[in-house]
Amino acid sequence: MRTHIHIRTGCTAVLLALIFGALCFSVFAADSSPHVTLNVSKASPRQVEALTQNAILRDYKFAWASMGVALQTNSLSSVNGLFVGEAGAHLSAEVKNQQQNDVSSRYRNQSHKLEAVFYSPEGDIVELHDTAEYDFEILASSKSIHSEHAVVHYIVLMTPGADRWVVRHLQAVPQF
Amino acid sequence: MLILLGSIAMAQDAALHIPSGLVAGNAARIGTNGGGSATFYLVGPGVSIKRDVELGKEISVAAKDLQAAGRYVAVICSGNCTSQVFFVAPGKPVDLSFIVHPSRAPVAENDAISGVALTFDEFRNLVLVPSTLQFQWSAKGSSPMSRSSQTREGIAWFRTNSGKTAGPLQISAAIGNDVTTRRVVQQVASIPCNLRIKGQRTAKGILVETEPIRDCSGNPVPDGTVVTFTARGGDHTSSVDAPVKQDIARATILASGPVTISAASGVAMGNELRLGGME
Repeated sequence: MRTHIHIRTGCTAVLLALIFGALCFSVFAADSSPHVTLNVSKASPRQVEALTQNAILRDYKFAWASMGVALQTNSLSSVNGLFVGEAGAHLSAEVKNQQQNDVSSRYRNQSHKLEAVFYSPEGDIVELHDTAEYDFEILASSKSIHSEHAVVHYIVLMTPGADRWVVRHLQAVPQF
Repeated sequence: MLILLGSIAMAQDAALHIPSGLVAGNAARIGTNGGGSATFYLVGPGVSIKRDVELGKEISVAAKDLQAAGRYVAVICSGNCTSQVFFVAPGKPVDLSFIVHPSRAPVAENDAISGVALTFDEFRNLVLVPSTLQFQWSAKGSSPMSRSSQTREGIAWFRTNSGKTAGPLQISAAIGNDVTTRRVVQQVASIPCNLRIKGQRTAKGILVETEPIRDCSGNPVPDGTVVTFTARGGDHTSSVDAPVKQDIARATILASGPVTISAASGVAMGNELRLGGME
């Protein structure tokens, strides 16, 4: 009898843990998976090839998801070379400084409308306009100190790496 | 009730006054209202600072904390937190990233060379205000050519034909007289234009060789360019590939009967050479 109760309790606990885990995963996945669209119709002087368009879309989305995780957890392990040059240096410094001050940042419900405005003749640099919309929160010692629904305009430079496009420059501007 | 009113007053008091027109690399003084102690936070590109401050006094933000252009959030917490978003603009363009392709270009080819220049301030922020860039290219023995171009969103570019003469092509991008970046494109001979061959029988066979091979602009083709000699005699056809060495390609063809020898390299075909049989 006692064994039955133990098994039933154990099963219930496992089930609850699974449900909780699934809920957490879905919430985290929803938060960390940005919605990104890319318009290449205005790109010049070179037209953006379909495969390149897909790669830029995929890698930019992945970059923002990784940056969100990095600034929330104050760890660069998720970034994995997606940000290089100035963008990489800024992200590293921000994570390090946040860690020192017990501050973290959360980007939730991200939506990015990307527009390619320049694609170099040799296809080695693309400049994008990103109209990003997200819920941004700053936490100090796990307490929210700033929260806003932000619409931010970014000038983005991406270059092709060995197997992906990487963010080389990410600069917010008041307007395009 | 009094406590509630007090906290509202404190929240209202802790307002931030951010100066407008902030430029990267310049220190800023942020004004505050009220009195008492508070904690100031600044989060921006590459920056996250936390500091204890006195309300009612100005908060100094060092130049090094405002080097990156972009969007910053300043927060002040004294009981409640108040925040303000502001932007830092890039400074003047003092640096150029200049990418030129290719490193080697065949001569006399349309749109063979292209360059992209990006303007940055001293902290490597992309300068988005339009600047006038001067592209200039010059090769030995020809007068320099230049083109003026206005940056758009920090970028200017050009595309040009390669010159007629093999050798280094110096390309520069400049903003005014102070900022110049140079690149070199090696212009190399294009594919062979004409092939002329001559030959003679020797004890070992037929020694054939080309006259000095040049491209259509008169530049000697580079060593290693392959010339294919083909000998046809009776029912037999044989070919031999020979690399150009000091402008000339040579090969020995083993044939005893009458043969017709031709040569080809790329799309260029040479004359035919007819030699009688060995007596």
